[in-house]
Amino acid sequence: MSTDIERIGVLGYLVQRAPSGWVGRTTLMKHCYFLQELREAHLGYSFSLYSYGPFDSAVLSDLGEGEALGVLREEVISYPSGYGYQISCLLDPEQIAEVGGELLERYQRDIDWVVQEFQNYSAADLELLSTLVYADREALAAGEEISMAELSRRVKEVKPRFTNDYILRQAESLDRRNLLSAVV
Amino acid sequence: MYDAIRERSREILESDLAYNQDGLGRDRQLVRLAALLHDVGHGPFSHAAEELLPQINGGDGKYKHEQYSAAIVRSQLKDVIENHPSNANYGFKADDIASLLEGSSRAKQALFWRDLIDGQMDADRMDYLLRDSYHIGVQYGRFDLDRVIQTIVAIRFEDDGSIRVGITDGGFHAAEALVLARYFMFTQVYFHKTRVAYDVHLRGALKEILPAGVFPKPTPAELSEYLRWDDWRVLGLLSDGKGGEHGQRLRTRNHFRNIYSSPEVSKLADLDELKVVKEQLGGLVAAEEPASKSWYKTGTPDIRVVSQTKGPSPLSKYSSVLANLKANNQVLLYVYPEQVEQARKKVSEVVKK
Repeated sequence: MSTDIERIGVLGYLVQRAPSGWVGRTTLMKHCYFLQELREAHLGYSFSLYSYGPFDSAVLSDLGEGEALGVLREEVISYPSGYGYQISCLLDPEQIAEVGGELLERYQRDIDWVVQEFQNYSAADLELLSTLVYADREALAAGEEISMAELSRRVKEVKPRFTNDYILRQAESLDRRNLLSAVV
Repeated sequence: MYDAIRERSREILESDLAYNQDGLGRDRQLVRLAALLHDVGHGPFSHAAEELLPQINGGDGKYKHEQYSAAIVRSQLKDVIENHPSNANYGFKADDIASLLEGSSRAKQALFWRDLIDGQMDADRMDYLLRDSYHIGVQYGRFDLDRVIQTIVAIRFEDDGSIRVGITDGGFHAAEALVLARYFMFTQVYFHKTRVAYDVHLRGALKEILPAGVFPKPTPAELSEYLRWDDWRVLGLLSDGKGGEHGQRLRTRNHFRNIYSSPEVSKLADLDELKVVKEQLGGLVAAEEPASKSWYKTGTPDIRVVSQTKGPSPLSKYSSVLANLKANNQVLLYVYPEQVEQARKKVSEVVKK
């Protein structure tokens, strides 16, 4: 399999590892971001920041290709207040291992780790946590050492709807797990 | 588009993004500048050359043209932006525009507007579909731009509180036409077998021409040299006989020939057939071009639609056409024109009509 197809296998495995057997689009996107940023998994995505957190349209392209290939399925689920996506995997674990090839083999444990660490968060929290990591890595790349309060302030400016306390608590939860690099 | 959203969605912009009148006025100009400058980082022949951008030191993958745009704004354009007489009203720093372009937390709440610069319904996309259709002389990329602008809004998602650009239900057919315009332009123009062949030759020729086969980096030391690489310089070099075999094919219009195409929506079984064809052709394969690698690929759209009576829904819930539209993951195989007959015979031995 080519590396591109293997990446779809990685998405398939990530979906299979979810306790419910399916994930939403936000979970898929942010888990891929965490895989690359926190586990240094070289998937080849190029995330940049939007008001809804780190995003790369290539993840959705892979999802679309995964659907076309018959590896993944996406359904729209309607709620009283809106809608969500339910992404499931159409292949069994052996078949996904074949599609994912070497890429999946290399990062399987990292995917397990990401799912374990972040499986209980809502879409809103995943957006916030990934934005905190993004702002932290920006500071690191700029050679800055910043306080937890400064990191929270920067994220508050991107996401004003969250309270200062809530952002700070989430930042501290990442720091306790040693997932922030620029914070002193 | 900015004005339409500002007028129709002021409550959301003020309550969720903490905008006031002054902030909206300032960011209107910021978004205009970012939209104007977002593609200044393109190399010669824009996306055709993107694959020859260099690797990022110690990073994952290659530079993208957006990073060149941001670097140019921060250096070559810094003075003209910061010291322009009109800027006395805004006090913009070049970094404000670059941060919005590259998607940095320094862009603060203005990041919301990145959807208009690089998103499902961005201004560039709406412009290039109509412009390309006009200049090429086709109708595939046409849609009702006025109706899209009349119905564009900011939509809040109650479940996760996120806010994105979308449309009201009165404009869903216009948005549907926009998505279909992309689809048709992709299949009929951008991923047309002959146009793609010339991408292959242009890339190949540039690889020959560029020192070490890649463009300079968007660093202070190399950016000026990068900017010297424009269409004129490349065309001059090609005209002078540079570019190796690919340059020669461009000059003589003797392009590679498409010998095999997987279905537009290929299943795993189709990829198995592709593999068999490739093995059968062996060294005859001159190029392999997957649609998934194309910058113009259509992907999985997520345009939100909102009505007065119910919450947001995806466009695919309104449009049965889009609900059944799958991503194009076709793969094109090319051979040398001199070996077409030999290749055709080999393919027919393993592919049933």
